[in-house]
Amino acid sequence: MSMLEAKRALRDIKNNKVLNTVSVLTISLSVFIVSAFMLFFINATDFLDGWRKGVRIIAYMSDGVSEPARLALIDAIKKTGQAEDIVFISKDAAFKDLKKKIGEQSSLLEGLDQNPLPDSLEITLKDVSRSPAEIEALAGRIADLPNVDDVEYAQKWLHRFNGVYNLFKITGGVLASIFFIATLLIIANTIRMIMYSRREEIEILRIVGADENFIRYPLFIEAILQGFLGGLIGIVTLFLAFILTVPGLSTEGAFSFFEMRFIPLKFSLAIVLCSMMIGWIGCYFSIRKFLKH
Amino acid sequence: MFVMHKENTIIRMFRVSKRYGKMEALHDLTVDIRNNEFVFVTGPSGAGKSTMIKLLYMGETVSEGSIIIDGMNMDRITQRQIPMLRRKLGVIFQDFKLIPTKTVFQNVALVLEIVGVRPKDIQGRVTEALMRVGIDDRAGELPPVLSGGEKQRVAVARAIVGEPKIILADEPTGSLDPDSASHIFQLLRDAHESGTTVIVATHDQQMINTGHGRVVRLAKGRLNPEDETRSIAQEMDS
Repeated sequence: MSMLEAKRALRDIKNNKVLNTVSVLTISLSVFIVSAFMLFFINATDFLDGWRKGVRIIAYMSDGVSEPARLALIDAIKKTGQAEDIVFISKDAAFKDLKKKIGEQSSLLEGLDQNPLPDSLEITLKDVSRSPAEIEALAGRIADLPNVDDVEYAQKWLHRFNGVYNLFKITGGVLASIFFIATLLIIANTIRMIMYSRREEIEILRIVGADENFIRYPLFIEAILQGFLGGLIGIVTLFLAFILTVPGLSTEGAFSFFEMRFIPLKFSLAIVLCSMMIGWIGCYFSIRKFLKH
Repeated sequence: MFVMHKENTIIRMFRVSKRYGKMEALHDLTVDIRNNEFVFVTGPSGAGKSTMIKLLYMGETVSEGSIIIDGMNMDRITQRQIPMLRRKLGVIFQDFKLIPTKTVFQNVALVLEIVGVRPKDIQGRVTEALMRVGIDDRAGELPPVLSGGEKQRVAVARAIVGEPKIILADEPTGSLDPDSASHIFQLLRDAHESGTTVIVATHDQQMINTGHGRVVRLAKGRLNPEDETRSIAQEMDS
């Protein structure tokens, strides 16, 4: 392919403005939809991962555990190899924290003879140990250790979450595949439609002596350009929509651990590249069909 | 089994038949056309005139028989050689076959772009061709805004710009008014006078009666016996 072919392709795009605009817009809409889904999926995964990282096991200790016994308990938990961090929370600290949390209603606690809360250990888990099954197994092992009265972790939540998380991943994968195939078909058919509308032009070119490369190369360049422009417009539109809407979506409070992000640059470039490739593939098959006749 | 390519014969059709399913469009047709000859191919509708033109530019392939054009045997021609053959031809159609999204200039320039003429030279040659057919003032227009006569002049310009050895015209005046038809005929005569072989499929009697060229009459896909006799006589003479 030479500069002359590129020039001819640009001239053809100019000559077929309406058709090219329609195909670029169709491609950009397809790319926008598939990228919007990807954006949602990335952020939803981030959100679920963030929530999962927040899961801790609280081990409530028996009354009157001596310091050496407490250190021995911490040591035993460390030996499981699944704890990233262990924080001791004394019963006094826990009581103060409770008072602070309930605020104005803390006067209710003043009638108590003694602090009813136990000493506890707050165990943060390592990344690799955050599957619900592992959390459950670890909690069981900690509960069996001496001087541990009870353990607490978000059992119910964890099970529900695990179900939702797996369902999300599976449906996400299936939907992503469907979207991808649909996009591929839309782009390929758009290119094919262009070929079809230009079949008479191709026929005329052949009659006046054009060889297959003369016909083919500008069409390839056009299809790749359409894929590029469609992909770029789709992803840029999504980015604009993202920066315009995301500041309004607050992630404070319970969701403070989570910050929304756009599709990483590498992925965005891959989407544009994919769009160009699909344009090329669509063009290849359509041309093959038309040049056969 | 093929008849030798005779000197000065630019097109030889030997025992050519063309069938579409059970329908025979051409039957056992043998015609020689000499270099720089002007030939009218005529006959009633369905006589096989357009089929003959199609076979000559390889829009169709023969069912039987052979065709040699300027030394190229179409039986042995490869797919890649077909464009080479077509570059020796200028083809004009009744429905013009112009690309509607390209300007008049671009439509004509295509022929030169295909053979790799430099853009600088294209400008001059296309302008000259458009001047010859008298449509240079509409070079920037798109075909849909032109009249039928103007479109056909563009088609003639496209046919002559590459200086082909042969011009094939399939009913070139079929959809034109008498004035435009006479202008197009004059352009074909000009091309012939400048050395091009011109073959015109037509049933325009006014054009045929000018006596400007040889007449090949077809009826139901067969050569008129009178023309056949004349053809044999010509062979014997030469």
